[in-house]
Amino acid sequence: MTRLVEVPTQFDDRSFDQFAAAYAQARDGERLLFDAHAAEWASPYGLVGLLAAGEAAAHKGERPLLTAPANPDVVSYWARAGFFREAADLFEIHGKVPKTRPAVESDVLLPVTPVRAAEDVHAVVSTIQQRASAILSSELGLDPKATMGFAMALSESCQNIVEHAGTGGWVAVQAYNWRRKLARRVVVIAVADAGVGFRHSLESTQAKRFGDRWGDAAALEAALVQGVSRFRDPGRGQGLAGIRRYLARWDGKIAIRSGTARIAIVPRWDDDVPLKDALPAFPGSQVLLIIPELQTEKGSSKQ
Amino acid sequence: MVQAVLQQAVAGFYTDLVTRPTGRAVRENIERELLPGMIAVMDFTGVGCLDYSCADEIVAKLVRDRVKMLLLRGLTDAHREAIEPVLAGAGLAVLYERPDGVLEGLGASEPAPALLDELVARRLAARNPGGSIRLTAA
Repeated sequence: MTRLVEVPTQFDDRSFDQFAAAYAQARDGERLLFDAHAAEWASPYGLVGLLAAGEAAAHKGERPLLTAPANPDVVSYWARAGFFREAADLFEIHGKVPKTRPAVESDVLLPVTPVRAAEDVHAVVSTIQQRASAILSSELGLDPKATMGFAMALSESCQNIVEHAGTGGWVAVQAYNWRRKLARRVVVIAVADAGVGFRHSLESTQAKRFGDRWGDAAALEAALVQGVSRFRDPGRGQGLAGIRRYLARWDGKIAIRSGTARIAIVPRWDDDVPLKDALPAFPGSQVLLIIPELQTEKGSSKQ
Repeated sequence: MVQAVLQQAVAGFYTDLVTRPTGRAVRENIERELLPGMIAVMDFTGVGCLDYSCADEIVAKLVRDRVKMLLLRGLTDAHREAIEPVLAGAGLAVLYERPDGVLEGLGASEPAPALLDELVARRLAARNPGGSIRLTAA
């Protein structure tokens, strides 16, 4: 039996729970058909999340199917963002997919890139420093010093996969004009894996401490707010703490979804909920970092 | 030079000190080269990005486990931003030699001045009339 999992027409972190709910309906042994034919737009978070779903589905049953977006502009963008290069290994793809190489253009700072080992993190950090510094300083108005901090935040986000997921994952970085929410440009880092998730990763060291409260939400809270790690090494837990410091300095946002929970450090410009629990279950962890264009003292955007 | 050790420790040409495995490999190479003595010196010239994990794996662990006094050179502001909170969080400190030769403590507020005082007391550094501290020629 094949089960349909609809990809939202506007596929980003806000519509992700709708996607996860459809995914969570699947039973072992069912073949999944991810239907993106009506997709009109997908954020980097949507694209890497879809890959994570594909990987998890492949582990549970038959190789999943994917219907590519019907809109030629959308499918072309997904190709330029590097999505199909990775999706080809995971899905049986139906629909016309352009044979475009991942983009070397200003908005795609890092196409969808697999992260499986420390060497991949090195490559990602090296690429982003070459490509992102001009965007971060000239277009977002960030201090050139922020570029290195950005690379550090990206490195630590990717290392969560290498150190904790127990499997590979993907990262993508993109700059775009976020008219609907902010009327400013933003840079978005999205990282997703279909691994064990935060709760499983921290269970052996933290579950007892939390007692009945232990679950996905408590695990996310422990990792992001309290800076705990599954390793007993006293220096562990630096990565997420460092990301938080960087984002606090540049008025950025972090949100992490894992299992059935989602936690966010919410800046003033956003109205997201700090902690959500009892969400539809989704494998692994999905991390979203947003760094907005710096506003000048008069309140206008720096261009 | 830390960058030279990085090239020995990691396959491929990278100038960034990122990830714990890289940090571990670099630290282990440094530990093999450590000479007995009071001060170990690490020069970060040529190092690109240094992330928090690597800062912990290299700098904090060397200070915690292997060397009494660590002097860092060639740091950029970004390197400092990675190293400082890692050391401060662990209650550790190192010495930092600025490009103009002035020494500063880096890390936790308590042990940092004590390191400078100890250097002066052992005449390895001297306090100038203006109050700044520099290494002595010896």
